[in-house]
Amino acid sequence: MRFLGCFVVLAIALRAPAPPASLIVSAATSLTDALDDVAKAYGAAGGGEVRFNFAGSNVLARQIVNGAPADLFISADETQMEVVQKAGLIVAGSRVDLVGNQLAVVASPERASRVRDRFANAPAEIRRLAIGDPAAVPAGVYARRYLEAQGLWKAYEPRVVPTANVRAALVAVETGGADAAIVYATDLAAARTATIAFLVPPDIGPRIVYPAALLSSSSNQAEARRFLSFLIGRDAAAIFARHKFIPLASR
Amino acid sequence: MNLWEITAFTVVTALTATALMIPPGLFLAWLLARRRFRGRLLLETIVSLPLVMPPVATGLILLLLFSPRGPLGRVLASAGIDVVFTWRAVVIAMTVMGLPLFVRTVRAGIEQVDRRYEAMASTLGAPPLRVFYSITLPLALPALAAGAVLGFARAIGEFGATIMIAGSIPGVTRTLPVAIYTFAETGRDREAAILLGVSAAIAFVALWLSNHLSARAGLRT
Amino acid sequence: MIALDLRIEQGDFVLQVRERLEERAVVLFGRSGSGKTTILDAIAGLRTPSAGAIALNGRDLFNAARGIDLPPHERHIGYVPQDIALFPHLNVRRNVLYGSRRGQTLSLDTVGSILEIDALLDRGVGMLSGGERQRVALARALMSAPEVLLLDEPLAAVDLELRRRILPYLERVRDALAVPILYVTHDRDEARRFADRIVVLDRGTVVWSGTSADFAAIRSDPRDPRASA
Repeated sequence: MRFLGCFVVLAIALRAPAPPASLIVSAATSLTDALDDVAKAYGAAGGGEVRFNFAGSNVLARQIVNGAPADLFISADETQMEVVQKAGLIVAGSRVDLVGNQLAVVASPERASRVRDRFANAPAEIRRLAIGDPAAVPAGVYARRYLEAQGLWKAYEPRVVPTANVRAALVAVETGGADAAIVYATDLAAARTATIAFLVPPDIGPRIVYPAALLSSSSNQAEARRFLSFLIGRDAAAIFARHKFIPLASR
Repeated sequence: MNLWEITAFTVVTALTATALMIPPGLFLAWLLARRRFRGRLLLETIVSLPLVMPPVATGLILLLLFSPRGPLGRVLASAGIDVVFTWRAVVIAMTVMGLPLFVRTVRAGIEQVDRRYEAMASTLGAPPLRVFYSITLPLALPALAAGAVLGFARAIGEFGATIMIAGSIPGVTRTLPVAIYTFAETGRDREAAILLGVSAAIAFVALWLSNHLSARAGLRT
Repeated sequence: MIALDLRIEQGDFVLQVRERLEERAVVLFGRSGSGKTTILDAIAGLRTPSAGAIALNGRDLFNAARGIDLPPHERHIGYVPQDIALFPHLNVRRNVLYGSRRGQTLSLDTVGSILEIDALLDRGVGMLSGGERQRVALARALMSAPEVLLLDEPLAAVDLELRRRILPYLERVRDALAVPILYVTHDRDEARRFADRIVVLDRGTVVWSGTSADFAAIRSDPRDPRASA
């Protein structure tokens, strides 16, 4: 009988009204801090409430393809955006390249200058190089592409430590598990001791783009469009730049 | 996002999930402990599946079922109930992931109950349902409590299925493990460390309590 | 009262019994392992025979040919098994009243005073002595308004002194209450003292049946199952 009571209470609770509709933006985890600031600025400029669903871009893409209700998708790489686009789930013509990023080679402060000097011409001095798993993590894919373009992949391949995400690569350097790591420039905000040995210039490194698009499943197209135009506006660009992203869509 | 809010939200949803586990969990545990029927092994395997499947895969299955286009999601949506990306999705993920532990513990507890008591109750005129709630259930109560606490602990720690079907929306669906992951990912080590401590403390107390209750129920753990 | 026609595969032998039990107090007598308890279980519905039929007062409890197999809770049988099995989480009163829901023919006052358990009603069952447990189990079975009482070795677990004290209670139930009793024992004296009729069982078959007076006249023979204990 007691259990029946629980059931009744739960049945009532489950019928409680959903929170008032606000935009849901599925966005890559690496954008967390920047987008929180953008949403604040959007609210200050008279925009409505925006809620973010932050996760790895591959998780977000899978959610959208399987019918999860989101209004906007901001991916950390083009591959995952293409998955959603191929499924016919984005509003035609709404896709924009929102921001860019660049790679950074990082090391502990005492090793930083040495890594900068030797990275290209004496790879043997760097015993372990941490990068996101090139098989799955976008940052790892970019790192490998960069090393290949520089003709360094063969030299570093046996000494690569693949990590589950960029953050783990940073930690590997900070704990001494690796001599150097290749991460996004924007990740340095999360670093405690690791410092930049050198930034990979955007024209040399791989093209790293965060595309954004409206989702056709959105039940709130007008508001989603408003937020998207705010994202590509000048105020948002300033915020992205402050977080070390390269604004690409600024008008 | 307030750490206290994250903790409170996680505890409340985990308690709700635990309450939801109990009615179907009791029935399944009783069925597996006391009935011999065709497909019993199959049922047992299905119930235990979330224990060994990658949680993300379980989450994906739940997403397919409960998305607005999915078979269950469509029915609920027509009744005005959204699931995906709401707290209900958190509760569903927690319930499904906690249920196997609950069922296994309670099942072992029911198997410990001497069947002679049930046989006597039935000769005294009690139909099967009365035998269950007046004899089997009270005698298996310590195991029921142990199973509920264990299911609760699993619910508190649920990550993979939650992030799939509920996402990580601050203030709406962000639970302790999801918050820990996000904080660690974005370099907020202090927040991550605090929540890690909270999570470990809850898990420790719950497991200790569950083991204590299991010992009282005479179960090996 | 009870019409038995049973066939039950029982480990190393096949139990096969065909008897009409009409008397007020019938004793099933035989050494342990002869199939006595199996018969009680089959009547109570705790064990399903492979063939045959069981009828109680003209009502089919089990009939293989007609596909009848009433569940235990519909059989109206009072069963006191050898190991008693009082519910450990209920006190004496709630144990005794557990079966009283299906309609009472006897009041708690009557049963309580006959079995002298009035003073025990609010105790936990863990606090009872062996003889008290036996009487509470008897009261519990009686309060469920049974059409027949099945007693499995009610005195086997108690010492000689206790036996002397409990047997009178059983006789009171037999004489004061109109509930027929089927009584299982391997004790000759008990059988002779309690029964109107004695059925002797050996390896699943009835080897002798008669009045207790006839039974008493049988000379002890170590190879005769009637004499065994």
